[in-house]
Amino acid sequence: MARYLIARLGQALIVIVLVTVIAFLILHLLPGGAARATLGKEATLEQLAAFNHEMGYDRPLIQQYGMYVQRLLQGDLGYSYQLNQSVLEAIEQRLPKTMVLSLLSTLLAVVLAIPLGVLQAIRRNRWPDYAITALSLLAYATPIFFLGLMMIILFSQVWPILPPEAPQGFTVAELFADPAGLVLPTATLAIVTIAIYARYVRSSMIDNLNENYVRTARSKGLSERRVVLRHTLRNGLFPVITLLGMYLPALFSGALVVESLFNFPGMGQLFWQAALKRDFPILLGVTVIISIATVVGALVADLLYAAVDPRVRLRGSAT
Amino acid sequence: MSESIGLTARHSASVNAAAGQPLLELRELDTDIALRRGTVHALDGISLDVAPGQTLGVVGESGSGKTMTALSIMGLLPSGGRVTGGQILFEGRDLRSLPTDEVRRIRGVRMGMVFQDPLTSLNPTIRIGAQVAEPLRVHKRVGRAEARDRAIEILRRVGMPRPERIVDNYPHELSGGMRQRVAIAMALVCSPSLLIADEPTTALDVTTQRQILELIDDLREEFGMAVILVTHDLGVIAGRADRVAVMYAGRVVETAATEQLFQAPRHRYTEALMRALPESAIRDSGGHDRLISIPGLPPDLSGPLTGCRFAARCSYVSDECRTTDPSLTPGAHQHACLNPVPTPAVAATGPVPAQVQPAAEPTQVEPAAKPARVEPAAEPVTAAAPELTESPVLSVRNLVKNYPVHGRGLLRRAAGQVSAVADVSFEVRPGETFGLVGESGCGKSTVGRLSVGLERPSAGQIVLDGTDLTDLTGRERRRMHRQVQLMFQDSYAAMNPRMRVDAILAEPLEIQKVGDSSARQERIATLLDQVGLSRRALERYPHEFSGGQLQRIGLARSLALHPRLIVGDEPVSALDVSIQAQVLNLMRDLQRELGLAYIFISHDLSVVDYMADRIGVMYLGKLVEIGPAREVVRAARHPYTQALVDAVPSITPNRAATRDGTTIRGELPSALDPPTGCRFRTRCPRAADICTTEPPLVGGLHQVACHLPLRPEPAGTPTPVEAVG
Repeated sequence: MARYLIARLGQALIVIVLVTVIAFLILHLLPGGAARATLGKEATLEQLAAFNHEMGYDRPLIQQYGMYVQRLLQGDLGYSYQLNQSVLEAIEQRLPKTMVLSLLSTLLAVVLAIPLGVLQAIRRNRWPDYAITALSLLAYATPIFFLGLMMIILFSQVWPILPPEAPQGFTVAELFADPAGLVLPTATLAIVTIAIYARYVRSSMIDNLNENYVRTARSKGLSERRVVLRHTLRNGLFPVITLLGMYLPALFSGALVVESLFNFPGMGQLFWQAALKRDFPILLGVTVIISIATVVGALVADLLYAAVDPRVRLRGSAT
Repeated sequence: MSESIGLTARHSASVNAAAGQPLLELRELDTDIALRRGTVHALDGISLDVAPGQTLGVVGESGSGKTMTALSIMGLLPSGGRVTGGQILFEGRDLRSLPTDEVRRIRGVRMGMVFQDPLTSLNPTIRIGAQVAEPLRVHKRVGRAEARDRAIEILRRVGMPRPERIVDNYPHELSGGMRQRVAIAMALVCSPSLLIADEPTTALDVTTQRQILELIDDLREEFGMAVILVTHDLGVIAGRADRVAVMYAGRVVETAATEQLFQAPRHRYTEALMRALPESAIRDSGGHDRLISIPGLPPDLSGPLTGCRFAARCSYVSDECRTTDPSLTPGAHQHACLNPVPTPAVAATGPVPAQVQPAAEPTQVEPAAKPARVEPAAEPVTAAAPELTESPVLSVRNLVKNYPVHGRGLLRRAAGQVSAVADVSFEVRPGETFGLVGESGCGKSTVGRLSVGLERPSAGQIVLDGTDLTDLTGRERRRMHRQVQLMFQDSYAAMNPRMRVDAILAEPLEIQKVGDSSARQERIATLLDQVGLSRRALERYPHEFSGGQLQRIGLARSLALHPRLIVGDEPVSALDVSIQAQVLNLMRDLQRELGLAYIFISHDLSVVDYMADRIGVMYLGKLVEIGPAREVVRAARHPYTQALVDAVPSITPNRAATRDGTTIRGELPSALDPPTGCRFRTRCPRAADICTTEPPLVGGLHQVACHLPLRPEPAGTPTPVEAVG
């Protein structure tokens, strides 16, 4: 197990390094450059050159990358002149809020999607299955900005029970000071996720219910409830673990559209605004954070898999 | 376990059956399965009964309804399946009219079922102990600790080594045979009065099969259970059941006491099924006579059927058969045949006049089948004789194949190697069939793949027509390998489902750039004729064919490039007996016509015995015995060969149910770390100190790799021409 973990961490590290290289290159090869973006249209060529020299942007790319990595290892993600704060600080401010939003919506999605998917599998090709399938496809096919707008119109205009904007403020505590403001963004995010998860749970449960071991379980005279809950559910939920692992990066990156729509001060908004303003240090910093989250997410999913599926666990450690 | 105890128990059980109530009685059971394309009437008026302590064998080919009968009893029909009529009387009560919860309880406590595939029948993520004890916990409210103890106890009873450790294992950590023991333990944990075993050993090797069947027998005696043994294998039934019901196309066509059924079958289908077995051909003629195959396919059960359902395939069919729906005759030996097999004792059981009249007709039909048997009978003798003079098509020398096993780490360092084939040498001569038998994991398929060049050997030589392939470059080697073609067990899986048959057959010709397009068309037409398929097959896709037809297409594809040798890897193992006979006959016909040589790889000794001129027996990567087929099977020299021979279920009365003889116990050792010396010594009843050194393969025509062979090579055999390393 330990060897497996070390190997996987090694792979993860390689991936992260590659991501920083790619992100670094793309951002630096973009036209315009950081100096113009920072100093504005009025800056003279001398000012630009001075800025570039000061920042080290006139040195060879390799050297720049080396310096970047060196700083990265010290926890220095750079400094955003546009926000006038360090990248780390900017992320530290937004990340917890994004995580709150993502976790809440994911939790909601999982809690609702699993029973829905199971219900569909048990009642497959009957009306509950058809109804949920139809709704899922509808939710799946609706663009999220449209869904969000409809939510705002419905629940804060037509039937004004919820605020159309997310709570503002600098800390997580301030978010929770106005919980009603979290409802719409969370629900908007969750609806699409529920649709996806329910489809996965449904097909995975149907596959498992057709397995021979389920017939064996029935031959023991078990109740249908026990057959489903004790024998099938666990095996049927494996794909959800993969999905959750894939979702982990979103926990960090935030939901760009939803955050913009509800004016939610999270990572998505940060990235979006930085992209508009060519705020390279922020873009690079966020990219690195997300890439680490992606790699770690995949690793966590694998480890979780191994924890719940004995076949995987033993394959990992036996040889 | 002596024979006599088994017989008395069985005998007293049948007496009970006659006197007392049957434990389970099916009355006119109908089962439908609704599919998208229509409703299949899977069972039509099934009436059967089984008494306590009795074993009822239900035998039939795929689609006959034998499994549906079992699943109907258990209430485990697949989705869309429904019992639509009749009664299932269990201990006098009709399960169909009882409330669901009550039926579920009966199913869990009073009945147990063992399924075919032990690899998929256990929940992969629940520990063995919890799975075995679950019925106790649910139905008897037994506490956790006690349930664990009871699980250990029952696992020990079914012959599981170290049960107190096994309870904490997961299914994937056990072999197939061990998992089937777990399944049996699970079915028996509540001491049911009825055990239904649906093909319990079909997925297992013969030696394991024997252990499992004996176990079920012993447990039946010990618990006084009734057993319903469902199988396609007549041999399995012959040795174990008190009564047998033969099913065909959703009906019971014949039922009788086992001995009576096998000695004097009455229904023409039962008779044909028995005669289609390779062992029947060998027993009756002592040679490689053509098998009596049953032409055609079983009827489609989704449409309305009139008359006898076997009529379309029956050689004794009369006009009456096509119009009259035969019902089972009354009495102890029931059959539903209008033109039954006449028996000497017919006057005692059946209405005489009804039998005499139709009996005249079969004699007229008989000649149609007879010549097919007689004509080729002389041929095999000439085919087998000239072997020694000709130079071999294929010569395999000291063949070794190891598969590296990788570690999990980043660099995947080799952590060891599986010794799949270890120093195997043999020759195949033109027109000869060389049979390769052994149990799963013995390396026989690897030898096949190496021979056709799908894989490269780790060491050793493969000499094709005098050319050593190991010396050749890749391109030349591939050209040479045209002469050796492979025939697969699952032809459907071996064909691209999106290619039509014409494309499938043309592909090898195109790849090897043989002829132009019209020449290829001509060649394909010839191939179809040779394998007995109509031209219309060309425009169809693989899924439109039955298993037997697919095997014919597979054979046609192997023949496309005029090979001299065809390697058949379990070519008939997935087929029903009647279809198997068709394919085996075809293979023999083509061999005669085209002078083909075969390497016939199979786990089924009786099929290899029928097909092969010479047989090689493999165990754990080693060739342990090689010699003329008849000698290897009837005068085995290696203890392992003898154990294999003894384990093959047979319908021949004196061979069935022999429980002494060489029985091997235990599990196949890992090929990752094979035993030193003789690889069989860990399971050999005769193992001695000398067996720690590796025995060489020695002898003349009949060679054996054993220090303590069961019998010397018969005198008068020629001395070895060359020493085999």
